Amino acid sequence: MLLPRLCLAGAVALGTAGLAVPAVAQDITIAIGSEPSTLDPQLRDDGGERQVNDNIYETLMARSATGELMPGLAEAAPTQIDETTWEFELRDGVTFHNGEPFNADSVVTSVERIIDPANNSEQMGYLNTISGAEKVDDDTVRITTTGPDPILPSRMYWMKMIPAEYGKTGNIGEEPVGTGPYKFVSWDRGNDIVLEANADYWDGEPAVDKVTYRFVGESGTRLSGLMAGEFDVITNLLPEFVSTVPNAAAVDGLETSVLILGTDNEGPMSDPKVREALNLAIDRDAMVEGLFQGYATVAGGHHINPRAFGFNADLEPYAYDPEKARELIEEAGAKGKTIRLVGESGRWLKSREQIETVAQYWTEIGLNVEIEVQEFSQYLKSLMGDGPRPDAIFVANSNELMDADRESSFIYHMEGAAASNSDAEMAKMIDDARVTTDTGEREALYHAIFQKGRDLNYTAPLFNLQDIYGMSERMSWQPRTDQKLLIKEMSVSE
Amino acid sequence: MARYILARLWQGLLVVLGVTLVVFVVTRVVGNPVDLMLPLSATAEQRAAFAQQIGLDQPLPLQFARFVGDLVTLDFGESVWQRRPAAEVVFERLPNTMLLIAAGLGAALLLALPLGIIAATRPDGPVDRLIVSAGLLGLSMPQFWVGLILITIFAVNLKWLPTSGATTWAHLILPAVTLGLAPLARLTMLTRSAVIDELNKPYVKTARAKGMPAHRVLGIHALRNVLIGVLTLAGWELILALSGYTVVVETVFAWPGLGLTAIQAIQRGDLFLVQAIVFVIAALIVIINLALDLAFKLIDPRIDVR
Repeated sequence: MLLPRLCLAGAVALGTAGLAVPAVAQDITIAIGSEPSTLDPQLRDDGGERQVNDNIYETLMARSATGELMPGLAEAAPTQIDETTWEFELRDGVTFHNGEPFNADSVVTSVERIIDPANNSEQMGYLNTISGAEKVDDDTVRITTTGPDPILPSRMYWMKMIPAEYGKTGNIGEEPVGTGPYKFVSWDRGNDIVLEANADYWDGEPAVDKVTYRFVGESGTRLSGLMAGEFDVITNLLPEFVSTVPNAAAVDGLETSVLILGTDNEGPMSDPKVREALNLAIDRDAMVEGLFQGYATVAGGHHINPRAFGFNADLEPYAYDPEKARELIEEAGAKGKTIRLVGESGRWLKSREQIETVAQYWTEIGLNVEIEVQEFSQYLKSLMGDGPRPDAIFVANSNELMDADRESSFIYHMEGAAASNSDAEMAKMIDDARVTTDTGEREALYHAIFQKGRDLNYTAPLFNLQDIYGMSERMSWQPRTDQKLLIKEMSVSE
Repeated sequence: MARYILARLWQGLLVVLGVTLVVFVVTRVVGNPVDLMLPLSATAEQRAAFAQQIGLDQPLPLQFARFVGDLVTLDFGESVWQRRPAAEVVFERLPNTMLLIAAGLGAALLLALPLGIIAATRPDGPVDRLIVSAGLLGLSMPQFWVGLILITIFAVNLKWLPTSGATTWAHLILPAVTLGLAPLARLTMLTRSAVIDELNKPYVKTARAKGMPAHRVLGIHALRNVLIGVLTLAGWELILALSGYTVVVETVFAWPGLGLTAIQAIQRGDLFLVQAIVFVIAALIVIINLALDLAFKLIDPRIDVR
């Protein structure tokens, strides 16, 4: 009897030891909403491409999970040589997946290629101030701008670095080569993209060995896939399904929803009292609970992301005061007047619901609200066209560079594509802020800009939205403010 | 016969060109494709340069003439979204759609014939009633809903089959069933009523009176007539599937076919890809119609195809 028992004990001991030595392979599957059209990191500006490429490529500047700018492939934050020149020291000992070294040549190639007009990069909206790059020595590079550009370091958080040689001749759109923690393995068009861990990664080998991206546009199908155990992470989980999935995580995201008010319009909207009434009429706290189940926060009195540079923390969210709103409408003689509210549906989380709820609140203070939920290309015309502006237009505004420049110039600047005012003084302040390189001075300017925007009620800011992710039980991951799905930050328990 | 085929091909070509012209005009008149293809932040100069680059600054007739000219070489232009030739995208996704349709409709046709015949041989019997009820159920459920229910049962709860994608044969089952369910119901009902009709005709009664066994009457005489009707409907189902049903099924199951690609191309305003997909689908429908006519001729040589 004893011998078999001994054998068994020995076998168990051996087995346990055997298990303890090699780590269990960690393979995960992520469902993303759209298939990348190319893996060239310098062409598109679209969700699917970024979600994959953020793991293959790296940038000179990076961000922490909570959004602070920090060095990435650069050794440290850049130094400003003069108004239009920034110098970056590069990290030592970094190599691309094909063995090419990461050095000044690769930075110069990356910069020159992305700004080349022939390349027609969709990312130029983020990079159009950059005029060129020159090598100082192997580890030092200077980037020049067309004018003073205080947010150049943030822009370099956007620009992915490609290898000098392969970047010129290689098939970078199909077989990408970066310095990142994951290497490209395969792309079965229509089905999946597979990446594997880069064992030589300069910041240490990541925990997850292999990641498979599946392309599932339909949110219900993504949810089913997660419930069936096929996916480990799904994006854009609706708040009402948080309690259904095995595991979920949410984080304050980049998007702020806002209504742009037609300040220049004839009729009630030209009266600041009416615009103030519109802001006071909305019960934002009720909407956070009712529409988002708590997965959103009330915007801080202006439409800037709270983590973006320039956010004015002194501006309180608008109070909900329907009585005062009614009085203001009476005073302005706007009772019973009609206003037109335009938006779209399907592109942003609960946009139709937000529009309809706001319209209801505005009706309650005595206005007649006409809602138009438009098809996207028609909506773009309403938002950015030259024709008569709608009295109010719904926008989900996001800020990838996390700097107030984009948000202020797009919506507040009289020449901004989506602006509905002709306030020349405001425009001048925004122009000044854009080229002021002194950080303190620049921040003060933005604070003044947003104070003015709020005093005159140029917009009705609504919510800072949270990004919600559904996860399998074994996943462990804290999502990031900047929406990047960085696999190196994920791990799985078996 | 050869003249007939040539004439039909010529008509078909005109139909395809007509459809393409409509799509061509609609994609340029409804919304501005440049706005859809460029990001919100693009400047007016960037928009103008892009319009020029893809030839949208040319007059419409010239754009269409160029498009038709390029069609000869199957050059549909460069898909702006995919940054590769639109033809490459279409011919990469088309086989997936054809596979899905072949599996869904093929199974529907194979099952519908025996089910319809079984139901028809004992009208109003319990088996007939069961088949008719199931058929009505199959007809009354919307496709996307059927798809989601099947996913919930067979993928989420039972975990027998995958929810989405197209990697293995197992991935084909649920989308094919979803696609084939309504056609199966329609084809079964049609077979049933056609068989009942035929069995009541005088020639069948005569044959039976002469002592021919029931299965021979059915197999030799009646079935040929039934098949014409069934095949007509099957052809129609094929056209319906190609021109719309697969869009729903491919979306629900993330099946990488032409329907899903069409939706994505429309969402992104990728007009070259949209045109290419519409052209290829229109051409396929014309070819299928012709093939069906010829198939009828083979089944029943009395049909006049001149």
